[in-house]
Amino acid sequence: MFVKKPLFDMASYLVIKTRTNSFSMKRTYLGEFEEIVLLIVAMLDAKAYGVLITHQIIAQTARSVRLNQVHAALHRLEEKGMITSKMGDPTPERGGRRKRFFSITTYGQHTLQDIQSVRANLWNLLPPSLKLSPGKI
Amino acid sequence: MNNDSNKPTPPRWATRLLQWYCSPHLLEEVEGDLSEEFDYQLQHSGLKKARLDYIRNVLGFIKPFALKRKPSSTSNSFLNMNMLKHYLIVAVRNLLRHKAFSVINIIGLALGMTCCLFIFLWIRDERSVDNFHAKADQLYNVYETVNTSNVITGSYNTTIRFTPKVDVPVADIKGSIPEVENLTFYSTGYELPWGYAETFRVGEKIHKLEGSRAGKDFFTIFSYSIIAGDKKNALKDINSIAISRKMAKMFFDTPQKAIGESIQYENKLDFVVTAVFEDIADHSSLKFDFLINIENQWLGKVEWASPKVLTTIQLKKGSDLSAVEAKINRFVQARLDKNDPRKVSLGLQPFADQYLVANFVNGKPQGGRIEYVRIFNGVAIFILIIACINFMNLATARSVKRAKEIGVRKVVGSSRGSLIRQFLGESMFLSALALMLSAAMVHLLLPTFNTFTGKHIVSPASEPTSWLILLGLMLFTGIVAGSYPALFLSSLRPVRILKGALQYSSSAIWLRKGLTIFQFSISIVLLIVTLVISQQTRYVQNIHLGYERDNILYIPIEGELKDPKNEPRNFHNYTIFKEKALSMPSILAVDRSSEAPHVMSFVVDENDGHTETANGEDAIQWEGKIKGASVGFKPMSVGFDFLKVMKLEVVEGRGFSKAFSTDSADAFMINEEAVRQMGIKDPIGKWVSAWSKKGKIIGILKDYHTHSLHEPIRPLILDVKEYEYFGVLLVRTEPGKTKEALASLEKVYKEVNPNYPLGYRFIDEEYGQLYSNEQVVTKLSNAFAMLAIIISCLGLLGLVMFSAEQRTREFGIRKVLGATLTNIVGLLSQDFLKLVFISFCIAAPLAGFFMHEWLQTFAYKIGLSWWIFVIAGATALFIALITICLQAVQSAVANPVKSLRSE
Repeated sequence: MFVKKPLFDMASYLVIKTRTNSFSMKRTYLGEFEEIVLLIVAMLDAKAYGVLITHQIIAQTARSVRLNQVHAALHRLEEKGMITSKMGDPTPERGGRRKRFFSITTYGQHTLQDIQSVRANLWNLLPPSLKLSPGKI
Repeated sequence: MNNDSNKPTPPRWATRLLQWYCSPHLLEEVEGDLSEEFDYQLQHSGLKKARLDYIRNVLGFIKPFALKRKPSSTSNSFLNMNMLKHYLIVAVRNLLRHKAFSVINIIGLALGMTCCLFIFLWIRDERSVDNFHAKADQLYNVYETVNTSNVITGSYNTTIRFTPKVDVPVADIKGSIPEVENLTFYSTGYELPWGYAETFRVGEKIHKLEGSRAGKDFFTIFSYSIIAGDKKNALKDINSIAISRKMAKMFFDTPQKAIGESIQYENKLDFVVTAVFEDIADHSSLKFDFLINIENQWLGKVEWASPKVLTTIQLKKGSDLSAVEAKINRFVQARLDKNDPRKVSLGLQPFADQYLVANFVNGKPQGGRIEYVRIFNGVAIFILIIACINFMNLATARSVKRAKEIGVRKVVGSSRGSLIRQFLGESMFLSALALMLSAAMVHLLLPTFNTFTGKHIVSPASEPTSWLILLGLMLFTGIVAGSYPALFLSSLRPVRILKGALQYSSSAIWLRKGLTIFQFSISIVLLIVTLVISQQTRYVQNIHLGYERDNILYIPIEGELKDPKNEPRNFHNYTIFKEKALSMPSILAVDRSSEAPHVMSFVVDENDGHTETANGEDAIQWEGKIKGASVGFKPMSVGFDFLKVMKLEVVEGRGFSKAFSTDSADAFMINEEAVRQMGIKDPIGKWVSAWSKKGKIIGILKDYHTHSLHEPIRPLILDVKEYEYFGVLLVRTEPGKTKEALASLEKVYKEVNPNYPLGYRFIDEEYGQLYSNEQVVTKLSNAFAMLAIIISCLGLLGLVMFSAEQRTREFGIRKVLGATLTNIVGLLSQDFLKLVFISFCIAAPLAGFFMHEWLQTFAYKIGLSWWIFVIAGATALFIALITICLQAVQSAVANPVKSLRSE
């Protein structure tokens, strides 16, 4: 006997619709700090988590950042769909608490590439006097 | 382990703070990161820096993203507008679909709420009496507790020594006791036993008004507003008088014109108006149209209308009450007679309490109207609970209809919490509707209620507190009424509901039956109460009092009528009045007595703290009296025709008669009760004395009631004093010819007493007023019983409807197989009638007990006969039966084809 399943149809429709929405969206604005965090996450390649990211930012950019700032940025990035996260295994050094590992999404990668290409274009348009030559700084 | 515990840790409070504010789904990672960072800092920068850093981090995390709770998948938020709207729509649809149920529900709740609101209004009004004085929290009444040979009595009376001259010991505590800032006395001029409206005259204007005597600081202590004249000196002078706006209008047109004017009192004293006060409001227990200085009473310039004098003191703020009491007692004891066997002690009671707490138990203020307030408070809550129970019952009964909805909701993922909230919200919604209905009812019925209770309550709609109370009532009703259905409905199992097998556990059914029993018990209790109270009131109204109270009117003796100087006595104005009046048509008999004969309140030789004679002996003595064997007599002086006017019966000896020349000098009559209490044998001819008058007993009167039936008949002693200057004239008129009689009286009175308007009262009317309290209670309990019955029946109707619905198919099959209408009605009825019967078994003894207690307040009362209970039970049963039949017949005559086809 044939059974209608309108509920299932509706659900899949909704899923599809949400996905389309998020992908067809214009590039989200990315703050400078967010961009750095996103780059660090990408750099650490799925081993990124709060403390490590913070230390890496300090080490790589020599700016002083606090854990909470990094967390807030990660949170925003996740909301924007640039990174995803999953909980790791319990670790003894954190009193048995789990780490949350972040990894960059395709969308995040696209965004970074977009930024990079926009900047590259702009650099190209600069008058030659202002252009950086390697090793000038 | 050891190593671990010695390891430095981050500050604990910071961790706690984090755990408190941080959203649970983030906590683990944040806490982990923080502790890892802490360890890192510990190794690289030292403990101090690590800790500081930790704290800064914790504080830094107080940000929206960390605070915000993760939305749960099933959206529990009650503020979710979509869901709220949805719930509301479902509620309204349900209301409209089951109109009968909805109407029963809302009306039931609204009735209960209306009742509740009215009672609250009444209680609020009762409590507001005497609370308007600005210094109310500092004002105290002095009450006296008198202990005479271990019989303790109490009253709000002032201890006064009358011999050798009037002395009020408590008057001097102002000035002697520092806590007492001020003190005043108050005594009415119109209250029993000898009071009446006093006559004032300005020029040609003559009016009778009821007023009082008060201490000179009366207006500074109490907050009666003065509209003209000087507040401080209003009563300073012995011949000053303060009058009400009404009285000022009567005599001087405006309050301002009255100041400084002279006004003649009782044709003998002149007072100067020093102040005009606003007419006394309903919320004052002291009522007066004028006030004169109480010195006039101490000095005997005006009459002692009532021996009762109230002392009110104003204490300094923050005074220690018991310390002041002790000081007052010490002070007053020194000024009392040491040899007096009556031990007097004084106490203080807040002034505002005197209205509600007017009775004394064991010499202390206790009970009075406050008991009615408490009882009605209870009744209000009871009725509200009955109404709520109704709601519960109906909602649970209706759950069959809602079961599928609940099943679907649960399957889709509604949590139990959200279901509970939905049903609570629905009951709130209903309770709000009911509240609106009841607010409208209260508004409409308030005038009726006011005439009912004799109050002047205005709608408190303008006060914000009353809206808060309404809101509170709505929430309370909503929560109480909705709690059980919400819990019950949300506990249903979706699988079983959706399979269509909704079976109620026996405990749920028993709970509903229990609730019905509870409701009906209360209804039956109220029915019995109503029956007993109205029976008792009827008994009191119709009892033969020993005299004929119809067609007697009484007139205060005042003006020319009291003048004792007219000699010879044949020309005394009283004699003239009597002769003239008797010659007029429709007047059968005229006589006099020293007190209104139906409400005699003067008692001598009672252990009340007052000495009766100069040497401290009892006032009444008789042959063979043992010393100290005081009998509380009611003494009264009457004329020769008193027995004829009152139609009293003489059981032994003879009545007063002019034929015996000595009767006016030495004849006494006593009643049977007196003979019993005096312990005298063959009383006729024995000597007896009242104060200085000595004589002999000439006759025994059959006992008759000289006051309200709350008290037993007291010993009574009568003598003849035709020319006493106080008391009342008694006139018996021809039955059915009251109008003519009054016209005649008016004419004669004008001739004899031209300066005084005729002020008469009918004894039968006044007698009725003795029980006005009981009458109000009868009316109220009548109304409440009706309400309770109606509400219970609504509940019962709901249950029957439910039961009938459940058994539709059963009835169909029965009918097909040949059951008659009576069979089916009987089948439906018997279950419910059983409940009513059980309720009766619970209610009858309970009500019996309460009513037995209540009847104890009457000395003369009806017995609690069995038929009262039978009537109450039968009424409840009958009403219940009608209710059941309404529904039962409907389902019994239904076409079985329809019911059997319904699935």
